[in-house]
Amino acid sequence: MDSITSSGRRGILGLGTALALGLPALGARGQAPPAMTDHLRRLYDAARSRNEQVTWYTSHYNSETAEQLGRAFEADFPGMKANVVRTTAQVAFQRLSQDMRARVQNCDVFSSTDFGHYTQLKADGRFEKYSPENLAHVIPALRGIDPDGFYHTTSTGTVLINYNTTRVPPEEAPKRWTDLLDPKWANRVTVGHPSFSGYVGNWVVMMRKLYGWDYFKRLERNKPQIGRSINDTVTMLNSGERWVGAGPGATTLRSASRGNPLAIQYPEDGTLLMIATTAIMKGSRNPNAAKLFVEFLLSKRSCEIQVENYSEIVRSDVPTFPGGRDLSTVTLIQPTVEEIEKGIPEVKELWRDTFGV
Amino acid sequence: MSTTTIAAAPRAPTARSGLLRRIQVLEPATLVWLALIGVLVFLVAWPIAELVASSLRHPRTGDWTLSNYAAAYGRARYVDALLNSLALGALSALICAVLAVPMAWACSRTDMPGRGFAWFTVLAAFIIPPYLGAVGWILLAGPNSGWINQGWSFVTGTPDSTLFNVYTFSGLALVIALHSYPFIFIFAKSALDLVNSEMEDAANILGAGTWTTTLKVTLPLVWPTILAGIILVFLETIALFGTPAIIGIPARINVVTTQLWQFFEAPVRAEVAAAYAMPLLLITLMLIGIQRLLLSRKSYVSQTGKGGERRPIRLGPFWRWALFGWCAFVCLLSVVAPMIALVQASFAKAWGRGFSFDNLTLQNYTFLLFEHDAAWGAVVNTFAYSATSATIAMVLALAIAYVVKRNLMPFGMALAFLCMAPFVIPGIVMAIGFYAAYAGPPLTLYGTAALMVLAFTTRFLPIAYANGAAGMQMIHPEMEEAVRILGGGRLTAIRRVVAPLLKKALLGGWLLVFILATRELSAAIFLVGPETRTISVLLYDLSEEGNLESLSALGGILLVITLLFVGAGMRLIGHDFMLRRH
Repeated sequence: MDSITSSGRRGILGLGTALALGLPALGARGQAPPAMTDHLRRLYDAARSRNEQVTWYTSHYNSETAEQLGRAFEADFPGMKANVVRTTAQVAFQRLSQDMRARVQNCDVFSSTDFGHYTQLKADGRFEKYSPENLAHVIPALRGIDPDGFYHTTSTGTVLINYNTTRVPPEEAPKRWTDLLDPKWANRVTVGHPSFSGYVGNWVVMMRKLYGWDYFKRLERNKPQIGRSINDTVTMLNSGERWVGAGPGATTLRSASRGNPLAIQYPEDGTLLMIATTAIMKGSRNPNAAKLFVEFLLSKRSCEIQVENYSEIVRSDVPTFPGGRDLSTVTLIQPTVEEIEKGIPEVKELWRDTFGV
Repeated sequence: MSTTTIAAAPRAPTARSGLLRRIQVLEPATLVWLALIGVLVFLVAWPIAELVASSLRHPRTGDWTLSNYAAAYGRARYVDALLNSLALGALSALICAVLAVPMAWACSRTDMPGRGFAWFTVLAAFIIPPYLGAVGWILLAGPNSGWINQGWSFVTGTPDSTLFNVYTFSGLALVIALHSYPFIFIFAKSALDLVNSEMEDAANILGAGTWTTTLKVTLPLVWPTILAGIILVFLETIALFGTPAIIGIPARINVVTTQLWQFFEAPVRAEVAAAYAMPLLLITLMLIGIQRLLLSRKSYVSQTGKGGERRPIRLGPFWRWALFGWCAFVCLLSVVAPMIALVQASFAKAWGRGFSFDNLTLQNYTFLLFEHDAAWGAVVNTFAYSATSATIAMVLALAIAYVVKRNLMPFGMALAFLCMAPFVIPGIVMAIGFYAAYAGPPLTLYGTAALMVLAFTTRFLPIAYANGAAGMQMIHPEMEEAVRILGGGRLTAIRRVVAPLLKKALLGGWLLVFILATRELSAAIFLVGPETRTISVLLYDLSEEGNLESLSALGGILLVITLLFVGAGMRLIGHDFMLRRH
């Protein structure tokens, strides 16, 4: 898609958005389908006439948010069905690899949190190229993550320090990543596992870049509790099993909003910004539904649901969650695509050598 | 069905080809036999052959090689996992024996009060999937937040003191044992039921007291059977995936099954996994061999059984209640405590906040039932696959047992052997074989319900067969002969005589396979597709996030529905269906 058509589209979509905004609350509640652009209408009609439904392998959100997005897609596009398979990134990729080895096409839309998956799958010619119309609404800095347009940023998130407020008063909470190495947190720290979670994989790569592998050897002296998903840290803090963690912003805040004793600390040495992408699988039996679903992920409705669940979002025209801190006021850190691609397989091995699992 | 149709066909004298003529010459029973062989090769022999072959082949070129074995055992960490599994299996099996043998003896030989209660404890522990029990124990015995340790801190007055940490080697072994001891109980009780009181009387007359008699006469008689049960638990433990995956990672313990799972991490190295699984297969084969030797010695028990009188041993009031206390203790550990923890979590906003009104919510259930599309699908899948697998397995088992027991064909024992073969294959290894054989072209069954049903059927075929064969043993051929003299075909005889007589045994076997299938995880986790998720797989996915509240709610739903089936089954066939196969 060249720039002229996409800017032309932006005009049409601007109108569409205005129309959607004109229908107060009704569209947002999902009781009536939102105004569809011609493009979406074509995809929707094609998907319906071919009886398509979309299977979505995702590791972008916690299960509740992922399921809620699936239901909202079905509400916005009546008659469509989204089959949500929420696992950690590496398990999602494992299942996808098993599918491909058996030459079975189960997955239509693939949303992992490990860039390495995308570069590899793209090189193997596994993706269907698609340029979503809604890309025009995405924050410019998040566009064009793949210069060839095979995959697009559909979600962002943070890895930061989370802690249990009944055990740790805010002034005593760790302020920097290196504070987690303090012996006073012995048997108090909780983390996920880079062989499962893409978020954790990114975080481990970043910590190694900042402080060398020594960081994890020293962390091991504090005997951290190792779960699988990064969301597991939230469970461990809630239960009081552990007091401080390297956890996700969204799931922690969401859980805190439901009355759990949790808070977050943006580390002074940098909050890890996660850019998570989505692609359509080549040879999908549900190509129209898959495209429609990617459009939905970038839609206003999807962003609203993500905000309700305290996720960072990819559009600027949806207000962020109450109490949400503008990330531009926070020190952000992020490994490069190459570092993630090369780094995650390496740190998975190093992790097992250091922690034994 | 085919017996009668084929039996009628050969009368038509219009054989055109040589092949057709040859088929006409064949006995109808031969065709059934061939068909059964075909089914068993498909279900059992081919996946095993694929597994062995793929372990010896280069994944891309297909050349014969040992490189997969080098990759599988080339790292100390991988070898450690194998050693961990063996140690874990041994420890679990020993704990099981300690838990189960006194219970079995008390239930079978004594006048202990509450024998029915003990029996229901065993049944309940058997129905609860091991990974669900594991989650219950995480809630109970997490080192800082577990109720037991919180209580202990309170009692001792020192914060952070830990009485029992589930995230340890012994914690893992105990949690596994708490859901495996029913196997030893069943083995031991079945054997003890056959020992008649005359032996004990003889010992008593010669001056031995109750305890000497029990330790020197009764238990030695059933010792081979108990040892066979211990071997079974050992094998179950080293093949278990769910519990080690949930407890093992935080506990820093890697075992064979979790290592096999790592070989399936992308890039999928199924051939390395196959190579890595081979020692497991060999150990299992060897131990099953030993088990058979032990069980064949059992014959001297059963020879004297049945005939003699059996009287319960009168325990004094102290021992009656001491034994009852032991049973109650096992019940508390294996059923009551983890269930209370799970139920609390399933109604909690955050389980760590304990019992309080502001912590109560129905949200976990509403999330699963109304907001989670896959959950309902998984419930339906679980019970549909379990029922289908149980039915296919029982039909197949009955047909094979009939052919074998009535000596309809030469080499009938070959059928029986194939039928029992899955018993020696750990579920996770079998799943890898199924994946290698049937996931891809030409059949491309990956992600289909058919693959799940085939895997479950194969996995539990030995149990179905053991039930079918034991049932067939009880029916004397003369009843069928009477039918045939009166002009009925063999099929009529089976339908009108054998099947009705075996109704209870078949239903019992069906129920057993059904329960095992509802809790199956280790094969399902490798063969599941997005449309074929079962409750166990969904529970595993939820456990990744530590989403223990929703997980407990889903576990609760699984248990309630399973209990409905079991309750209905027990109304039909009585409560001792688990014992019938011996």
